[in-house]
Amino acid sequence: MIKLEGINKTYFGAQPLHVLKGIDLNVEEGELVSVMGASGSGKSTLLNILGILDNYDEGNYYLAGKLVKNLTENQAAEFRNRFIGFIFQSFNLIPFKTAVENVALPLFYQGVPRKKRNQMALEYLERFGLKDWAGHYPNELSGGQKQRVSIARALVTSPKIILADEPTGALDSKTSVEVMKILREVNASGITMIIVTHERGIANLTNKIVHLKDGVIENIKENNLESIDLERDVK
Amino acid sequence: MDFWSEIFMALRRNKLRTILTGFAISWGIFMLIILLSVGNGLKNGVNTNFADRAKNTYTIWSSETELPYKGHKANRWITLTDKDIEYLENQLYHVDEVSPVFSKGGTLIFEDKSKSVQVEGVKPIYKDIEGIKIKEGRFVNENDMKTKAKVVVIDKITAELISEKINPDKEREKTVNVRKTRKSKKKEVSILGQLVMINDINYTIIGVFEGQMWGNMGQCYAPFSTMQQIYNVNNRYYQLSFTTKGLETKEDNENFRKELKRNLALLHEFSPDDQRGVWINSSMLNALETNKIFNTINVFIWVIGIAMLISGVVGVTNIMRITVKERTFEIGIRKALGAKPRSILMSIVMEALLITTIFGYLGMFVGMGLMEIVNKILEAVNAGKGASEVAVFLNLSVDIKIVLMATIVLIISGVIAGIAPAWKAVNVKPIEAMNNRS
Repeated sequence: MIKLEGINKTYFGAQPLHVLKGIDLNVEEGELVSVMGASGSGKSTLLNILGILDNYDEGNYYLAGKLVKNLTENQAAEFRNRFIGFIFQSFNLIPFKTAVENVALPLFYQGVPRKKRNQMALEYLERFGLKDWAGHYPNELSGGQKQRVSIARALVTSPKIILADEPTGALDSKTSVEVMKILREVNASGITMIIVTHERGIANLTNKIVHLKDGVIENIKENNLESIDLERDVK
Repeated sequence: MDFWSEIFMALRRNKLRTILTGFAISWGIFMLIILLSVGNGLKNGVNTNFADRAKNTYTIWSSETELPYKGHKANRWITLTDKDIEYLENQLYHVDEVSPVFSKGGTLIFEDKSKSVQVEGVKPIYKDIEGIKIKEGRFVNENDMKTKAKVVVIDKITAELISEKINPDKEREKTVNVRKTRKSKKKEVSILGQLVMINDINYTIIGVFEGQMWGNMGQCYAPFSTMQQIYNVNNRYYQLSFTTKGLETKEDNENFRKELKRNLALLHEFSPDDQRGVWINSSMLNALETNKIFNTINVFIWVIGIAMLISGVVGVTNIMRITVKERTFEIGIRKALGAKPRSILMSIVMEALLITTIFGYLGMFVGMGLMEIVNKILEAVNAGKGASEVAVFLNLSVDIKIVLMATIVLIISGVIAGIAPAWKAVNVKPIEAMNNRS
């Protein structure tokens, strides 16, 4: 599903910053992968490149078999809209839109008619137990609810991959467990998922843990999920 | 359409921002309308006060010479005579009809009322020369001239003074301010035929004229022949007024005035270079002078108006910039969710267009509405005013084309102001935009 070959990325500022120094990575369809690393290790940059929110300088990035390189803004927007669902640490819901409107927004950019997209959005909200909160604005929701709304929004376009940036970073441990349960369920339904985190407990709930250090992959650990107890292992 | 409902929702949910932007626009248009209409009102008001003298008329006043000439000493009084009238009427093609004017200040007395007045002895044609409008009765006619009748035409205000005296009910009604009762409906006694005394001589009132006087002086017209006899001004005139024909342009009038002066200098043997001797006044040249003043006022108003418009444009530009900056976070999310740059740009520009159009129209509507209300009030106030008072403002109006142009300028500048920062926001990386939480 995802294939990275020698990805290099340098930020050119007052002092050029070589963030990614040749990343090679393969993620198969249906995998649940976590990327771990200290701050400054380049994990956020990697996620941005994976999400086509940022471009890279060298190497090749294949997403679902297609080379993602030197895309125009429109092509990148198309890719993001069709293939990728984002989940952010700070939820990034639009404050003046209700839960259902937030979830339906990606469909608006696909040109889905209002009635249809609101209906679809409602279905996803229902799936995450938020049907009664559909008409509420983000500031009327708890952190866990907000993250569930943003998960619904990430899923509503049926993307190939979900990219989650510290999805539990802003949540307490109880809510973190809930959110991870949901993400695992989503993954179990066949969607490839990459989670960037610095919490070992969260990383331990994934099939594969990629350790980043100073812009290179230090190691990749396969993780046996059979013996995992969600409640115990988170945090 | 979905696109528009998305914009409408964004506007509705961000009321304060929308209203602030809109207010800048409305205010700009509103102030522009007020300024321009007040300017026009001033012009209309003053023009009406000159309107009675719309005809191209000339007045010659005799005066003292300033320079010695051909053996005559300086400071000699030039006296206009019948010969001058003859010369004007027969030798100058452009002169239409001439009336000498004899002016005399005095006191008009009616029973126990008195008022200071200016009496002018004129020929019947003077009515046309000055554009005098008769309200009641008639003006001086040829018969009065022939018989040297002691008759007088008085102004409206002086007429009211006399009318109140002979109709005491009217006076009471005015002060008590009661509605017209049956009693006061009783036919008013006309002032025509009443005798008034001016400078110890009795005159019969034959007419009342409409007219606007500056100040409190009353104005009366009597036959020239009568005045000539009473004040013994045989063949010595100080003022001649006449109407003209065929003098259309400023050059025509200036040339005519020069020619007239030269010929009068010849006739009365004073230096053609003398600044004095006779004064020649042209109503058209005066009007042109007045117009010049108004053109200056107009330019002034336009300068202020354009300054207002510029400040409106700056206001709109600023608000649009802040708006886009405020929305960078939202734009970042939208981009991450797959919004294409064009769609974001379009929604910002259309939003700007919608706000400026709606609020521009609102400002126009309120401005024009206020203008109309002020017009109604002015009408009422002017109607209550006497003839001696001058309307400073009249019929405030503004060229709708100019207002529409100004609105369009604001709309376009609002949109352009929105495009630049929107373009910047659209091209920012989504991650940076999303980190930019306000």
